[in-house]
Amino acid sequence: MIEIRNLVKYHGTQRVLDGATATFRAGELTALVGPSGGGKSTLLRCINGLETFHEGVIRIGEDSELVGTAGKPHDARRLLAIRRKVGMVFQQFHLFPHMTAQQNVMAGPIHALGKSSAEAAETAKALLARVGLSDKLDARPGHLSGGQQQRVAIARALAVNPKVILFDEPTSALDPTMVGEVLAVMRDLAAGGQTMIVVTHDMDLAKQATVVLTMRSGKVSSE
Amino acid sequence: MRRWLVLVLIAAAPAQAQDKKPLRWGTDPAGGAPYVYTDKTVETEKYIGFEVELAEYLAGKLGRTSAMVKGDWSKLPLLLKKPADQDDAIDIVLNGYELRKDLLADYAATRPYYVYRLVMMTHAETAKDKDLRGWADLYPSTGRAVKTVGVLGGSVAHRHVKKTFAEGVNVMTSEDVKPVLDLVLDRRMDATVQDNPCATYFLKQYPNLVAVGEPVKPGFYVIYYRKDDPALGAALDKAIAEGLRDGSLRKIYAKYRVWNEDQERLWYWLDQPWPPEDIEDEDLDEEGRAVNPWPRLLKELAGAAGVTVLLSVVSFPLAMVAGLLIAVGRVYGPRWLGFPLGLGVEIVRGTPLLLQLFVIYYLIPELMFQTHWDGLIWLAKNLTPFLAGVLGLALNYSAYESENYRAGLLAIPKGQMEAALALGMTRFTAIRRIVVPQAVRLVIPPVTNDFIALFKDTSACSVILVVELTRKYNELYNFNRDLIVELAFVTAGLYLLMSYPLSIVANRLERRLNAPAGGR
Repeated sequence: MIEIRNLVKYHGTQRVLDGATATFRAGELTALVGPSGGGKSTLLRCINGLETFHEGVIRIGEDSELVGTAGKPHDARRLLAIRRKVGMVFQQFHLFPHMTAQQNVMAGPIHALGKSSAEAAETAKALLARVGLSDKLDARPGHLSGGQQQRVAIARALAVNPKVILFDEPTSALDPTMVGEVLAVMRDLAAGGQTMIVVTHDMDLAKQATVVLTMRSGKVSSE
Repeated sequence: MRRWLVLVLIAAAPAQAQDKKPLRWGTDPAGGAPYVYTDKTVETEKYIGFEVELAEYLAGKLGRTSAMVKGDWSKLPLLLKKPADQDDAIDIVLNGYELRKDLLADYAATRPYYVYRLVMMTHAETAKDKDLRGWADLYPSTGRAVKTVGVLGGSVAHRHVKKTFAEGVNVMTSEDVKPVLDLVLDRRMDATVQDNPCATYFLKQYPNLVAVGEPVKPGFYVIYYRKDDPALGAALDKAIAEGLRDGSLRKIYAKYRVWNEDQERLWYWLDQPWPPEDIEDEDLDEEGRAVNPWPRLLKELAGAAGVTVLLSVVSFPLAMVAGLLIAVGRVYGPRWLGFPLGLGVEIVRGTPLLLQLFVIYYLIPELMFQTHWDGLIWLAKNLTPFLAGVLGLALNYSAYESENYRAGLLAIPKGQMEAALALGMTRFTAIRRIVVPQAVRLVIPPVTNDFIALFKDTSACSVILVVELTRKYNELYNFNRDLIVELAFVTAGLYLLMSYPLSIVANRLERRLNAPAGGR
């Protein structure tokens, strides 16, 4: 489903990605683990174009491809096409604070896919029910716990119906007591056959993965 | 070196004290020719004019030297309220001040030194196109466009035009003669009414300018002095009488081409009771009974307050929209856009609002006329003071608002943009739907603060002939010297009455939007 070939990226003179190569299969949960500074998050952010890279190729599905640009920005239209297939969940949630939980989940369908607000509201209600937050539709992010916020963020990513969801350390910013609720949601998604790539330090989470890849010094190895 | 200077000063001081003190006469040189103006033919700043020479003549008669003290025309009488022995005080006001009942309440007046009349002037082409051939053409009538007439704010001409023609004319007031004259010459204004000395001078200088109708409404120029200084008054009256009898005054007036038959009347008044009993009074009705002036004053102030509010509520939203666009352009736009925008903001923030209003109302139309392009000339002719005021305020405040919004945009965490992009939004949508709404909420306090500031800055528009609250206060104050304090309190009260509710609304908004903070 996603194929990464010889990705090279520099931060100044430092080679953060050093010919990283990996394949992620559809319907699987792949965990990307390894020491800090190994390039896991950078690799993940390259997949949906939040970071550029210098050399190499990322192929997504049959028809999308990102090629190394020597650090220059990617073509905007190509990025848009890729981002509509690849969702993302962040360590710090990044919910939109000026919107309610339901409006957060509706933002993608309305503003990215051009859906009607009635249709988006239905989708949002269903997804928030799926992550167990039916009673928090009208709550603003500031009034939700970390675990609840991350579950809203997952619902928001699901709302645009992505083929793959990237998780960038989804449980690292949570109190230990709240990790469980987020893991439960992810387990549910995995059971439903959602393709997911998770960067994590959490061994409980890594254990659920179908495949575990390790990143060290900008290179990927399977263990 | 300094010691030498002190010695020289000590040596010089007693010599001066023996002479009488100079006669300090208050005037406003901005009022201009032919009263008091600078001599352009010499390098140094030297003032000439018939009043300069009159002051020198009078001082000479009193055995004193003449010392000119410059002040704001409408505030000159206030300088007489200072104790006479104070350094910056004056002894007399001598600057085309007419004999008026409200001024006589506080000050004493000499016998008249000049008889003036009001002259209407227009552009020769305007007289033809708009059929403006005499005073009668100013009266309201159906099927005739209302004429715009410029006058000095607070002058007799101002009062006369306002009272006589009422709805028939659109009176525009200015502090100085020159801008009004330029507007008439550019045909952006239909006519101006000035005292005849001024009219004579400018009619000679500008061939396009013509006088229409007969000069009307003769009145006296007098010199005002302190009521507790009758000796000075008597000496001045004596000097004026002598000057009339021996032809000295005629010589001075003739030199500046302001002598005319009207001046013969001055002799008559030399031995009549002075001041005369029947001075025109605004506040008397037709049978001579006193009228309470407050209903009229309050109505006029309220109308002007409306203009102030209108200026604010039209210009500020424009400033907000422009400011937001500038801020987005600078933060998210390409470099070729960001640089000129930044430069523009610095230029607008670094120059005074007053100057910008001047440029927009006087200078830019002037340039547009020179293009000889019909569209631009049409625009220039239709740029009303109000419109120019709105544009100026919007321009000035857009620079400040853009800085507010820029700070707001920069304060939104990068993750917000990334989250929006990751959902598949375009950059434009992400800015519009996610970043801007948050930034706008964040800077509501400074923005509302600026609105209150703009509200008060609308008073600057009086320089481009907009009659807003401050301008109206100045005008009414000129006509009602006996109500200065009361008018000031009422005007200040009106400003407060309007800005205080704004503060309350601003505070509420702030509290409501700040309540659910955090949780990004």
